[in-house]
Amino acid sequence: MKKIEAIIQPFKLDDVKEALKNIGIDGMTVSEVRGHGRQKGHKEVYRGQEYQVDLLPKIKIEMVVPSARADEVIRTVIQSARTGKIGDGKIFVYDVVDAIRIRNEDRGEAAL
Amino acid sequence: MAKPLSEETFGSAALGFQVAGDADRVVAARTAEVESAVLKSWEDHLAPQFPRDLAVVATAALGRRELFPCSDVDLLLLVNREPESEAARNALSAFLASLWDRGMRVSHSVRTPADCCQLHPHNLELIVSLFDARFLAGDAGLFEPFRLRLASFVASHRAWLAQGLCRMARQRHARFHDTIYHLEPDIKESPGGFRDLHLVRWLTQLETADKTRIPAPERPPSLEPARHLLWTLRCYLHFRASRDYNRLDFEAQQGLSEQPFSRGRDPAAWMREYFRHARVVFRAAVEALEEVESRSSPLLSSFQAWRSRLSNADFSVRRERIYFRAPAAQMQDPERMLGLFEFAARHGFRPSWEAERQIRERLNALRDWALRGRALWPWFRTVCSLPHAPVALRAMHETGVLGTLFPEWQQIESLVIWDWYHRYTVDEHTLVSIEALAALRQPREGLLRHFSQLVEEAGDPAPLICALLFHDTGKASRGAPHPLESARLARQALRRIAAPEEICERVGWLIEQHLSLSEVMCTRDPDDPSTAACVAQRVGTLEALRQLTLLTYADITAVNPEAMTAWRLQQLWRLYLVTYKELTRELEADRIGPSSEQFPEMASFLEGLPVRYLRTHSPAAVEQHFRLYQQALRQGVALSLERREDLYCLTVITRDRPFLLASLAGALSGFGMNVLKAEAFSNQQAMVLDTFVFEDPNRTLELNPSEKERFHRVVARAALGQLRPGDLPAHRSGQPHRRGRAISPSVTFDSETSPSATLLEVVAEDRPGLLYDLATVISSHGCNIELVLLDTQARKALDVFYITKDGRKLEPDLEAALREQLLDVCRG
Repeated sequence: MKKIEAIIQPFKLDDVKEALKNIGIDGMTVSEVRGHGRQKGHKEVYRGQEYQVDLLPKIKIEMVVPSARADEVIRTVIQSARTGKIGDGKIFVYDVVDAIRIRNEDRGEAAL
Repeated sequence: MAKPLSEETFGSAALGFQVAGDADRVVAARTAEVESAVLKSWEDHLAPQFPRDLAVVATAALGRRELFPCSDVDLLLLVNREPESEAARNALSAFLASLWDRGMRVSHSVRTPADCCQLHPHNLELIVSLFDARFLAGDAGLFEPFRLRLASFVASHRAWLAQGLCRMARQRHARFHDTIYHLEPDIKESPGGFRDLHLVRWLTQLETADKTRIPAPERPPSLEPARHLLWTLRCYLHFRASRDYNRLDFEAQQGLSEQPFSRGRDPAAWMREYFRHARVVFRAAVEALEEVESRSSPLLSSFQAWRSRLSNADFSVRRERIYFRAPAAQMQDPERMLGLFEFAARHGFRPSWEAERQIRERLNALRDWALRGRALWPWFRTVCSLPHAPVALRAMHETGVLGTLFPEWQQIESLVIWDWYHRYTVDEHTLVSIEALAALRQPREGLLRHFSQLVEEAGDPAPLICALLFHDTGKASRGAPHPLESARLARQALRRIAAPEEICERVGWLIEQHLSLSEVMCTRDPDDPSTAACVAQRVGTLEALRQLTLLTYADITAVNPEAMTAWRLQQLWRLYLVTYKELTRELEADRIGPSSEQFPEMASFLEGLPVRYLRTHSPAAVEQHFRLYQQALRQGVALSLERREDLYCLTVITRDRPFLLASLAGALSGFGMNVLKAEAFSNQQAMVLDTFVFEDPNRTLELNPSEKERFHRVVARAALGQLRPGDLPAHRSGQPHRRGRAISPSVTFDSETSPSATLLEVVAEDRPGLLYDLATVISSHGCNIELVLLDTQARKALDVFYITKDGRKLEPDLEAALREQLLDVCRG
């Protein structure tokens, strides 16, 4: 099993969710986060005064999927979240040792 | 072993309750059953071991004979000294175990009378639970001295106990944000729930306790209907969950409506009834709290007495509450009665309990009076514009005045809409949103500082508060999308109280759009220029953008206390910023082309005006400008002056020339007029359309009709550059109205926003003649003012000029020279 963590632009959330739903991925955790990568924030000017905006609003999507489906999920996220501009985000992939459904103690992929 | 109590009787009691909904019967039966079980266990386990020196005492709910199906059973095992022998301890264990085995959740303590009467904060809840102590079994000779000792202790420490109770109640209320209107209320802990019912009872007991007894008070008749409902709901929740569960969650609300005793009442009707009664309980609790608090704090009392000096001929202020001075007369005159809310909005005091009752008694008369169509707008606008408008609106809601004047509001009173995000009922969400907006009037830190600035700049808060007040009224109907329905209801309500049409339309538009910025925040890329263009197209003007941004802020903030995260705040501010820049850019860059589809016959007039001109002016206004334009082509200048409530609007069309804006501003300043808004656009034929909105602080035009003619003549001469010495009255110089924080001036230049002009933005403290002085400085440097947008709100002038010199943007050294002189002018 793989854990896929995608940091995306907030306005792409609906597109990504829809695309994942279309390939049968319904389970995910979504958080509002703030941060920056190489984008490193930017300066904003309002009424002649400059403000440094260090942390930009992003959305973090986390999901655990069977290893066999990881590439497909990653492709789907990329296609649906990409605008081609700086700030589109990143995807991180982790190995997952086990998963347990608390209700009935199903384990492994059966628990997903 | 005895069959557990709950299994034995729970099922049949639940069935009986489902049919009849008779909570009193359930509670009485449960209390009797538990008492009998306790007596049996005492006989079996304790009596042999403790022929004397131990009394079993019922406390708290069991003491009051108010045991619900799954309530804890509170027992005090009163002893003269701690039992030490193993046999005694075993007997106690066996006694308690037998009760647990019978399905009771026993909460017990073994104490001496001295333990019970200790002055210690941790002892407060125990002492209060003993107010209703009742002897059940054992050594009666031990109980009677204890009862006397407790009464004497309570009577001696009445104030300390009352203050402790108040502190605990306030802390509990704060946990629930001091409101009863939770979508899923905890009927025990929430304001207006069981705890408050008990609080009123305990404070009464404290009041009446003497050295010999703590009397059990009569149930106040005014709270009986509420008590009855709360008992019914609690029995239902306990039976439903088979445990001491007191949260009326969405599923429980649905289940409640399906109970046979519900007799077809839907969840919404149940919740309305719950809130109606919870309001009565909460009011009684707060009244009791305030009574104790004002007695117990000399400092608070003297502060409140000092504030009482705000009393006037109509209203007196005592302990931060408003009283009618002559209630009999004032109640007969609805306008005088409504004056109380204006007083509340001005000073931030709430009506006294007595005044609330007096108002509620007159609601029918108020309804009849209001339905005859009253021009209430001036009064309502004043209420909404005053610093404590949220206090007044909440008081109007609590007394039923809001729903009486606006039947549209009644539809959302105590309305529960099920979703995952909202914490409060629709009416409470609305009032919290207005409070969130008002809170921005205080200085804020971080990003909120910008939103505070927007509030300052948004000017008259009345349209925005009206928009918030009605923004969700459409949620009660199931037809059109709620923003459209809410907008319809708002327009209807405001027209009924004779609000000006432009206010009705502005409020309606804000409500229709109140979700649009949230939608854009979630679905559009703020860095994509089309996003800003789309929002700019929708809002049209900076003023509308400010109002819609604030409306969105207040609406999100009121969803629940955690809803406006730093994340969302930043998203909203970003969207405001890109749209602000787009509106500023397009003003100069996007011009109407040689042919206008909408007004082909006016093509020559419209060509070259900003595209926004058509968005922000009604067809009737465009028609009027066109007629003035034709007149100006013939005569060189044309102007119109019209009065709008307290302000005047002057439109001047003439050919562009150097110092034109300075001359017109000088003429207005010469007459003592204070310019609040101005726009200056020129078309392809170099004809300039100037619009000024100004106030006439000396009432020159109103009191001297002959001055109107002279005013027209002088403005026309100024437009043509033909002013003669003596044309203007003696210069009436104005000083800035200094009150509150000083506004430090700023002058900024931006050469990037516009492709052809330098954008000059001036922020300064407003004063009469400011525009004249600024325009004179700009023109005296040989600069041409291509376009002007001027706005003044709350003493702050926000002036935007698009200027060129010799047809090009300004050079840096010219900018520096201008900046220095303009700052001097701003500083006066």
